[in-house]
Amino acid sequence: MDSNQVHVTIDGNELDVAQGTKIIDACNLVGIHLPSLCYLKDISSYGSCGVCVVEVEGAKRLVRSCMQSVQNNMVIHTHTQRVLAARKTNVELLLANHEMTCTTCERNLNCELQELAQQMGIRDQRFVKTRKKPLALDLTSLSLVRNPNACILCNRCVEVCRSMQSVSAIQMTRRGLSTQVATFAELGLGNSVCTNCGQCSLVCPTAAITEKSSEQEVLDALADPNLVVLVQTAPAIRVGLGEAMGMEEGALVTGKMVSALRTMGFDRVFDTQFSADLTIMEEGYELIERIQKGGTLPMITSCSPGWIKFIETFYPEQTDHLSTCKSPQQMFGAIAKTYYAEKMGLDPATIKVVSIMPCTAKKFEAGRNEMDSSHAYWQHKGVVGEDEHFCDVDYVLTTRELARMLKRLGINFASLQESQFDDPLGESTGSAVIFAASGGVMEAALRTAYEKLTGNSLENLEFSALRERKGIREATLQIGDLACKVAVTNTLGNARVLLDQIKDGKSEYAFIEVMTCPDGCIGGGGQSIPSHAEQRSKRIESIYEEDRGKQSRKSHENPSIQTLYASFLTEPLSEVSHHLLHTHYTKRSAWDY
Amino acid sequence: MHDRLVAIEHIVAQHRHEHGALLSILEEVQRTSEHNYLSKDELAHVARSLTLPLADVYSVATFYAFFNLKPQGEHVITVCRGTACHTRGSKPLLEKVLTYLGISLEDDGSATTADCRFTVHTVACFGQCALAPVVSVDGVIHSRITEKQLLMLIDALAGKKEAVV
Repeated sequence: MDSNQVHVTIDGNELDVAQGTKIIDACNLVGIHLPSLCYLKDISSYGSCGVCVVEVEGAKRLVRSCMQSVQNNMVIHTHTQRVLAARKTNVELLLANHEMTCTTCERNLNCELQELAQQMGIRDQRFVKTRKKPLALDLTSLSLVRNPNACILCNRCVEVCRSMQSVSAIQMTRRGLSTQVATFAELGLGNSVCTNCGQCSLVCPTAAITEKSSEQEVLDALADPNLVVLVQTAPAIRVGLGEAMGMEEGALVTGKMVSALRTMGFDRVFDTQFSADLTIMEEGYELIERIQKGGTLPMITSCSPGWIKFIETFYPEQTDHLSTCKSPQQMFGAIAKTYYAEKMGLDPATIKVVSIMPCTAKKFEAGRNEMDSSHAYWQHKGVVGEDEHFCDVDYVLTTRELARMLKRLGINFASLQESQFDDPLGESTGSAVIFAASGGVMEAALRTAYEKLTGNSLENLEFSALRERKGIREATLQIGDLACKVAVTNTLGNARVLLDQIKDGKSEYAFIEVMTCPDGCIGGGGQSIPSHAEQRSKRIESIYEEDRGKQSRKSHENPSIQTLYASFLTEPLSEVSHHLLHTHYTKRSAWDY
Repeated sequence: MHDRLVAIEHIVAQHRHEHGALLSILEEVQRTSEHNYLSKDELAHVARSLTLPLADVYSVATFYAFFNLKPQGEHVITVCRGTACHTRGSKPLLEKVLTYLGISLEDDGSATTADCRFTVHTVACFGQCALAPVVSVDGVIHSRITEKQLLMLIDALAGKKEAVV
């Protein structure tokens, strides 16, 4: 036997597993899924819920399988009477202070606590409440809502915020029966360093952290005959929505999604991938200009709004490294309410732009003060007054919100026919699809930059080094006589490493892509729950499948983008582009509140 | 405020290399503060000086009962609400003190007069059960105390000459 392996017996199954494996993970290897409300493999091991207990021969007490690693010759029993009784009691204890409002809860039917209570046959609240009055909701954030009354203190949110994102907006505060997860001085997420990434809402086992819903506002807009309601869908939705509608993990549902949105009553179904191609044009040219004219390098991508707030807050002195390009969501809004409105003869004030995003931070982004360039455009033309203000993007829905709405409207998603996006803001290339996966923006930008700089056609479009699933990936692309060294990363903890290199003057890169969430937008904080690593792998596969199937795989070959430049923007980085498609950043501080 | 921030930086500099520096720093910041508490600004300044997340510093400050997050009175009256004291009338005693000072306990179990002269709070047990009811005034334990004695003590601290009837 390999010296790094230990021999264990789990419910009579004998197996060898790597030393250091947690009992709970070893059990998975023999097909036994132990329940846990706090454990997150490789991220959080806190042992607070006590639901994963097992009996280990020779041990006096029951063992928390998420805390204890396997040892040689360990004999484990996962479902003795004693184990089952202890698990049930522990869930009952967690329910003591829980609001028993399942029917009106956002996470109804998608709640880990509810599922366990159901499985264990818990039918009443056996233990008395220790909390005298309900705690206040945190409604300060544009992206997220915290309901401490639903919280079971599992620590998962605290841990993803701290170790994955290195943000630490929330912490366990007070102690004993008064313990609660809170922001500094209970000022709320909206007044904290929170980047709105929403990873906390993905891992929350209950409804203690959820997205701030815009479902009703969108239904109201759809019902208003005086409005023209446009919808844009982010690349990652087409591989996340199917899951939320009961289809297999990573199901590619582009055509069904378009049909569903049309059935819902959107006047035009457009694609954020159109503006992703546009982003590549602007960002690609910006990179070329910075390289040729000696601008600030490395240039760093700016599509991911959690990342933007992160660098603004923790590295405000480095915001010059950010591309000035708005994200595809915001470029879409600005173009829809100017170019498209003009083209179709629509009153921009009657257009509502709804985004479907895998992201909670997009809600914050859409609400940023500077994201109203379409209004400035029309105001400059004297068409609208200052008091008739509108934003470029009106409402942002997460994958989860859209799924809930589709269910509410009785749309049988799996059986829908496939249909096509509307023109012209629905046309996109393979480069735009891969924005959904970490490394995709970089790959797309390189495809365009290479061809624009050299005039040659790029033979191999897939950069395998950028597709590896590790924290920081790098590659060097020879563009003519220029060796362009680039890096790709995801999660903010990893981004910190690259920013610290820049700070120390040790960064060798010309271009860096940062995505806030694990594996990029396909693992976004607004995606369907659960969203674990194996699921994310399947979503990534589907994204690359869509890219391979696209007629064109390079942004600059998108005919609708070419028309947009020819008839409206003139050229990348033009004056109109600067007004509509580029932005500026706010310097914040991690210690101001 | 500026002087205070400089003072905090000085405290941080003195302790920052010690093991468990944050606790020593918070203790000293509280001890040197005007009303014996840690204000948001002071906590934020400590966090900034140590490059710690605000939420982490808040977590520590709220964990320990020793740290106050609200201004404390010049004089602190601690009424024991343990079982023995309860049976010997600590509840009416507490109510009497609160009424006398015109304040009522907040969610965190304490109350401070508007002029910051007096803070009243409770503890679960002093471990002096044989001497119940027990009240501590500015750290001095008073055993088998009566309402009248306690109110006289308060008057003395408040500088009033007449005793309460």
